[in-house]
Amino acid sequence: MGMKMVQTQAPRALAPSNDQSERELLERIAKSRDQAAFRTLYGNYHQRLSRLLTRMSVRREDIEEVVNDTFWVVWTKASEFRGASQLSTWIIGIAYRRALNTLRRAKLRPVADHEFDEDSVSVESTDDDENNQQWISLGLERLPVEQRMALELTYTLGHSCEEVAAILDCPVNTVKTRLFRARETLKQVLPALAGMQDPSGDRS
Amino acid sequence: MTSRIPDTHAEAWDLLPWLANGRIAAADREWVEAHVQACAECRAELSAQRMLSGNLSRAGAEPDQANATEEQRSFDKLWARIEAAESATPGKRSVEAAPRRASRPVRWLAAAVVVQGIGLALFGINALRTPDAGKPGFVTVTSETPKHAARPDAPLVSLVFAPDASIDSVNTLLTHQGLSIVSGPGLSGNFTAALSADAVASGASAESVAAAVSKDPNVTFAQPIAR
Repeated sequence: MGMKMVQTQAPRALAPSNDQSERELLERIAKSRDQAAFRTLYGNYHQRLSRLLTRMSVRREDIEEVVNDTFWVVWTKASEFRGASQLSTWIIGIAYRRALNTLRRAKLRPVADHEFDEDSVSVESTDDDENNQQWISLGLERLPVEQRMALELTYTLGHSCEEVAAILDCPVNTVKTRLFRARETLKQVLPALAGMQDPSGDRS
Repeated sequence: MTSRIPDTHAEAWDLLPWLANGRIAAADREWVEAHVQACAECRAELSAQRMLSGNLSRAGAEPDQANATEEQRSFDKLWARIEAAESATPGKRSVEAAPRRASRPVRWLAAAVVVQGIGLALFGINALRTPDAGKPGFVTVTSETPKHAARPDAPLVSLVFAPDASIDSVNTLLTHQGLSIVSGPGLSGNFTAALSADAVASGASAESVAAAVSKDPNVTFAQPIAR
């Protein structure tokens, strides 16, 4: 069993990782309390979870706590994972629920209750790409957290519809509706940057 | 290919996000792609969603190096927390972990603790052989009723010291807080320290001491251990 502390390089890919290889890591954690396997699994998710939690408007100082609470559960409950779902949906689902609790505790309102006003925000950067990213971030902040998560899980992390539904603990049709509404909002707020054109015609 | 071929604009439209990210179900891919090929509106929407996906992926991305450093620091804190919890309840650990190679300052500190322990043991044996054992004419840290003795049920704190922390600064910190090392280093170089009876009597708790020492630059991690 590889118990040495390994200074692994964090994987940079945000896309869902190989479920089978991650299940093997979890099995090593459950059976032999393998720290190297735990470290690797942690590295596979640290960036993804940190990014998701940022998108959820979890305060920066709380993000580490939520990530580590999530992996505390992974460490202590590894032997109880039965494989009914993808490992990634299990882990990200834990983080999502923990983050919601953190937001409730902090009594934060992740969604502003006033209409988006382009004049009310300023984007100071003169770099086009950086400017675009700032506008995207500002646009996302106008969405309810559930819609933001549906966008992030689908477009950035590349999860399937069923996986997003499992993580957010809602029906697949709800995922589709949230994505549609999120795109509609972004379309109004950031038509060019959202890559969307003016809607034409009714959806049949 | 599925036996059901919806081929309606609305259903295809709903599945475009997963055609865009490549995760559409195999059963749907063929008919959705066929619809998109014939539908200008869906083609435009698919293109738009791919652009949105690219913009979202780039937004909020942080430098890799910053992520790697942050990640390792966060993991170290989590692992110290796990070790603290498992050392408090050793029966829960199903398989004993081989100790990892501790950093040089941590190994040095551990050696110092061992040497100190041996010294105290020898001192104690010598004292027992002395006729007036137990009645020293001076006060020592090994007096019969030591000023800073920790009780068996003393509050415990898990500590990880900074790699560049000197033994003097660590000693000063421990003494000031009424702490004494009772075990360690663990797998992450963490030590378990017990709070002296005097400190407890003066109102200190594992939580308050952990909070206080965590602000010290010589400490990278401090957490109360649940008893």
